Amino acid sequence: MTTTMMKTTARIVVPIILVVALSLLLQGHNLPGGGFIGGVLTTVALALIYVAHGLDYLESGVLDREVESGAGIFQHRTVLAYRKTFVFGLAVVAGSGVAGVSFEEPFLTQAFVIVEDVPIYHEIELTSALVFDVGVYCVVVGGLLTILSVVGGE
Amino acid sequence: MTEQFVVAPLVVALLGVVLTLVLRRRPLVQRAASLGGTVAYAAAVGLLAWRVVLAPDAPGAAAYQLGGWPAPFGITLVADALSAFMLVIAAAVGLAAVAASIRVVDRANQRVFYHPLFHGLLVGVTGSFLTGDLFNLFVWFEVMLLVSYVFVAFYGGPEHTAAAFRYLVLNVFGSAVFLLAVGGLYATVGTLNMADMVRRLSDPVAYGIDPAPVGGLTALLIGTFALKAGLVPFQFWVPGAYRAAPLPVAAMLAGVTKKVGMYAIVRLFFTVFGNAEAGVDLPWIPGASPLALLAPLLLAMGIASILVGGFGAVGGDTVDELLAYSSIGQVGFIAIPVAVAAATTSASLRRFGILAALVYALHHALAKTLLFLSAATIQGATGTNRLADLGGLAGRSPPLAGAFLVGSLSLIGVPPLTGFFGKLFVFEASIRRVVTTPGAGGMAGLAVLFLGALLTIAYTTRAWLGGFWGQAPPAVERARIDPAQVAVLVALSAVVVGVGLGFDPVYRFADAAATAAVDGSAYVETVDPAGGDPV
Amino acid sequence: MPAVSIVLAGVVGGLFALGTFLVLRRDLVRVVWGVAVLTQAANVYLISMGGVREGTHDLVPVLAAHGGAVPRTADPLVQALVLTAIVIGFGTTALALVLTYRAYEENDTMNVQEWQ
Repeated sequence: MTTTMMKTTARIVVPIILVVALSLLLQGHNLPGGGFIGGVLTTVALALIYVAHGLDYLESGVLDREVESGAGIFQHRTVLAYRKTFVFGLAVVAGSGVAGVSFEEPFLTQAFVIVEDVPIYHEIELTSALVFDVGVYCVVVGGLLTILSVVGGE
Repeated sequence: MTEQFVVAPLVVALLGVVLTLVLRRRPLVQRAASLGGTVAYAAAVGLLAWRVVLAPDAPGAAAYQLGGWPAPFGITLVADALSAFMLVIAAAVGLAAVAASIRVVDRANQRVFYHPLFHGLLVGVTGSFLTGDLFNLFVWFEVMLLVSYVFVAFYGGPEHTAAAFRYLVLNVFGSAVFLLAVGGLYATVGTLNMADMVRRLSDPVAYGIDPAPVGGLTALLIGTFALKAGLVPFQFWVPGAYRAAPLPVAAMLAGVTKKVGMYAIVRLFFTVFGNAEAGVDLPWIPGASPLALLAPLLLAMGIASILVGGFGAVGGDTVDELLAYSSIGQVGFIAIPVAVAAATTSASLRRFGILAALVYALHHALAKTLLFLSAATIQGATGTNRLADLGGLAGRSPPLAGAFLVGSLSLIGVPPLTGFFGKLFVFEASIRRVVTTPGAGGMAGLAVLFLGALLTIAYTTRAWLGGFWGQAPPAVERARIDPAQVAVLVALSAVVVGVGLGFDPVYRFADAAATAAVDGSAYVETVDPAGGDPV
Repeated sequence: MPAVSIVLAGVVGGLFALGTFLVLRRDLVRVVWGVAVLTQAANVYLISMGGVREGTHDLVPVLAAHGGAVPRTADPLVQALVLTAIVIGFGTTALALVLTYRAYEENDTMNVQEWQ
């Protein structure tokens, strides 16, 4: 599938998907969107890169690193990074839930502050739900891409 | 005041998942963390049970609104005596299973997500026992099931994959049916919060509810919970899945996740639909209520389970196959007193039926865990579980033989072990039913209970004779029995004996649990759902 | 009963029938398709339980029971339920696919009846 047409399409579409995914993630606490949707979209973008360029592209093409081969798909550095993302996300989710407990509030309690007088934005709503969403986002991206790359690598 | 101890077991299990995942690269620390996490889980469960039920000034139940959202809009966790009792079972089995798996499951396999998955299983089980919301119950079921699929496929052989696939497809069907019931109940009653549901169903006219669909929808629930509990005719997945899963996990599946199905039946049909109308009269069922519908179905399924499980176990070739079939039969022993409780109109017999089921569930969880872990030790030491290739283990390791004997005797129901009280109460409930309302169903149930008890004696004797007596074949002669595993087994047998000897507090705990199970109005009072006054 | 409800009932029934048919096939890939179709059927059913007419507060079960005067809104609760159910169904289907692949590698066949 690594045709020129695929590569060109990926080059145009991937940045758009990533921006949409990011905006969905950031507004998710109060509007349609959220960590899961953002994560799935991000996975779609990265899956497009795989389809167009292959699994090693992120290592060799973007980060300009050597790709060691033969160690098996589970030891692949990209896959290891995804698994770390997954674990990190899970820790953030659990931590954001427990954070409420430490303020003597119920588990998973969220809070928000609205910061006024910010240049350009005028006001920004800072929410603790965003932390939870980022955790979910990491879990989804890490988990899905691990599955994709391991199954795809076989 | 927020009562954090209600959510503590859930949080501890969740942190256990995270911690064991983070420590993947250090196997030794990971194993220590896993064991420590389970000990902390047991401590959290103990704290919950103490604060809710056992302490002198305990309130008897506590509700917890996740995220501070009030019921019925948010997700409510409810810890009453019934939940606490089931959690104690989960903690006891989980602790023993983790302690054993550190030695039983080989090191390389333990590194592959074994411990995080185990804590994930605890998360799912804990959530199912604590939740006070019907859809949330579905979610916890799925958490539990997803983890168990992976566990069944854990050892990558063709038969493991096949067992996992069958288990998965059957349960996807079950989950779809569960969703049908959830959606239908929501459309009918207008809420998913269980306490709110009790309140609204107890007076449907005042809330403008037409209860006609409730009977059919609850029938769907019976099907899906019977599938989870592995009752006949939904037992097909049980033997394959239990034999494929690592044996400590099989102990957990038989001891705890099956009980989640029975717990869901008790919680929903007695606490939630206890006073509800089924809405339609069925010609062959007396009384139009979900309970009246449940009683004959559960009785039939219980009878069939005892027969299928008992005869299957008598014919089993390997210890784990025998135990898997035995657990089908033993769930039948739990189902029959629940059916008695559902059929009766007497409040005291209803409570007693639930009490008998709970005591039996506790006994079965302990005894079956002990037996599965013994099977794991035998498997690890001799490399086989086939009864034909075993023998003479009693001479090789008296403590191992003693543990297996205690488990078997408890399963048979010999005093003073825990199983004696389980069997005693189950028979008493059944006999009381036959005496007060003589009928063909009750008599058949009682007769099958007797037959099931005889079959239990038959297959445990067979396992004992085949595995522990006689000439030791070469596999047993060469066996190296791990003293650490035997220590876990001996500790667990001490618990089985100890619970039987000091049965009085256990009885009072189970009695409180049974009282909580049949008292829907106390449940509503605990949760106190806001809004939605009668229209 | 509005026409939409009848169509929806037909769709849900058809999806369940199709899913059941596929799950009972010998070909493992078809079984996975069946799993996916079944979960989606349950999702369509669930979303239709919130009421399919243009929403007003007394048509939406949770709002009718608890909300008071919330005008012209669809039922938010079933949407939350379906989102959760989709995520779970997604995970289950992914796992089923991985198992299928492993079963194929082990048995060199997609036909369930040729398994050892």
